[in-house]
Amino acid sequence: MTNLEALVAHATKLALLALLAGIVWRGRARLCWSFALYVVAMLLGNSLATLWPSRFLNPSFWVLKQGVYDVLKMGIALELAWRALSAFPGAARTARRVILALLSASTLALALLAHPSSYMNLWDWQPRVTTAALWLLTGTALLVVWYQLPVHEWQRAIMLGLAPYLVVFVALLGLLHRWGWTSREPIAVAAQATFLCLAVFWTWAAWRGPATPGPVVAGTRGA
Amino acid sequence: MLELVLSTLGGGLLCYGLGRYNRTLTLQRWRFVLNAPERQAIDSLRQRMQLDSALARQAFETADRAREADRHPDALTVLRVALSILEDAGADRLTRLRAMGVYSRMVQAIKPLPSPSAKPFRTTELRASATAAGFAHRLLVGAEERFRLWLLFLGLGVRIVLRGGRRSAAAAARVPGRARPWEAFADGMDDFDALDSSHLTAFEALVASLSAVDRGDRLRIWEQIAGDLR
Repeated sequence: MTNLEALVAHATKLALLALLAGIVWRGRARLCWSFALYVVAMLLGNSLATLWPSRFLNPSFWVLKQGVYDVLKMGIALELAWRALSAFPGAARTARRVILALLSASTLALALLAHPSSYMNLWDWQPRVTTAALWLLTGTALLVVWYQLPVHEWQRAIMLGLAPYLVVFVALLGLLHRWGWTSREPIAVAAQATFLCLAVFWTWAAWRGPATPGPVVAGTRGA
Repeated sequence: MLELVLSTLGGGLLCYGLGRYNRTLTLQRWRFVLNAPERQAIDSLRQRMQLDSALARQAFETADRAREADRHPDALTVLRVALSILEDAGADRLTRLRAMGVYSRMVQAIKPLPSPSAKPFRTTELRASATAAGFAHRLLVGAEERFRLWLLFLGLGVRIVLRGGRRSAAAAARVPGRARPWEAFADGMDDFDALDSSHLTAFEALVASLSAVDRGDRLRIWEQIAGDLR
C-alpha cells in the first residue's frame, strides 16, 4: 500500500466513523438496517487492511470482503424496495415481478461466465455483480417515482449516493482490465477517493436535520 | 463494456428519477388520496366547470351580437375574451388531468369507464380522436390502462379545442364579416363542454376508486407512511 493509498484509506475511515455516528445519533439505522451493516463492514474491511496490512492486504481477503460488500449492497437494494413498497400491495405486485426479472438476469449473466471467479479475473465477475446491485436500486427508484411512493430523505440519499459510485467502480474495473495490473495503484486510489467522496456525502446526509417543506408545485391544484 | 453501458444507463435513470422526486409533494398527494373529500370535490369541480362554461358562452354571445350589429372591432375584442376564458379553463383541465394520472397510479383499482365515443363531439379532429381512442380502448384490458387512455384523450381534446379556438379567432380577425370562423368557435365551445362532461365522469370514477379503500385501511396506510417518515 502506497502512502497516498494509506492516506485516502485513513481519511475514509474517519468519514465512515462520522457516518456511523450520524446514523446512530440521528436514528437512521432503522430506516435501512442493511446500510448500517454495510457501513460497519466497510469500516471493518478498511481498518483490517490498513492497520494490519501484512495479514489482511492480500487477494483472498479482498475477494472475501468484496463478496460481503456485494451481498450487503444487494441487501440494501432489497430492503429499500421492501420498505418503500410493503404498504402498497398494487405496487408491491409489480415490484416482485421486476425484482425477480432483475435477479434472474443477473444470475444468468454470472452463470454464463466461462471460468470460476478469482482475484485474477475480477474484471469478469465484479462488474456484473455491481451492475446487478445497481439495477436493483434503479428498479426500486423507478417504482418509487412511478407509483409516487413516499421514501425518507435518508433512503433517497443512500440510493442517490450509491448509484454514481457503482458506475465509477464499474468504469475503474474496465480500466484495470484494459491497462492491466501495472495500473492497479492509481486505479485503487481513484476507487478509494471516489468512495471517500461518497462517505462524505452520506455523512452530510446522515447528520442533516429534517428538510423544510418545499413549495407546492403544479399537479395537486384542483384534484 | 456492456456492464459499463448498463450501469451508466441504470445510474443515469436512478439519478434522474430520484433527483426530480419531491417528497413533500408526494406526501401531500398521499394525504389527498387517503383523505379524499369525495362528494365535496366533485361538486366543487362541477361548479367550476359550469362557471367557466357560462362565462365563455356569455362572452361569445356578446361578441356574436356585436358582429351581427356590424360592430366588428368590439366583436373581435369580446371574442378574444371568450378565447382567454377557454384558455384558462383548458390550462386548469390539463393540470387536473396530469394530477389524475398520478393519482390513478396510487389507488389499487379504478372504477371502469365506458369506451370513448365520437357522438358528443362536433369538430372533425375531435371526432376522429374519439373514434381512435374508442378503438384503442377495446384493445386494452386493464381498467387502469383504459383510465389513462381516457386522460390522454381528454388532454388531447382540450388541446385540439384550444388550437381550433385560436385559429377561429385569427380567421375572424382577418375577415370580420365571414360567418364560418364564428360557427367553428361555437362548435369548439360545445366540444369543450362535452370534454368537461367526460372530465367530470373520469374525476368521479377516480374519486370513487379512492373512496373504495376502506377507512381503516386508509388510516393504517397513512400511519405506516407517516410513521416511516418521521
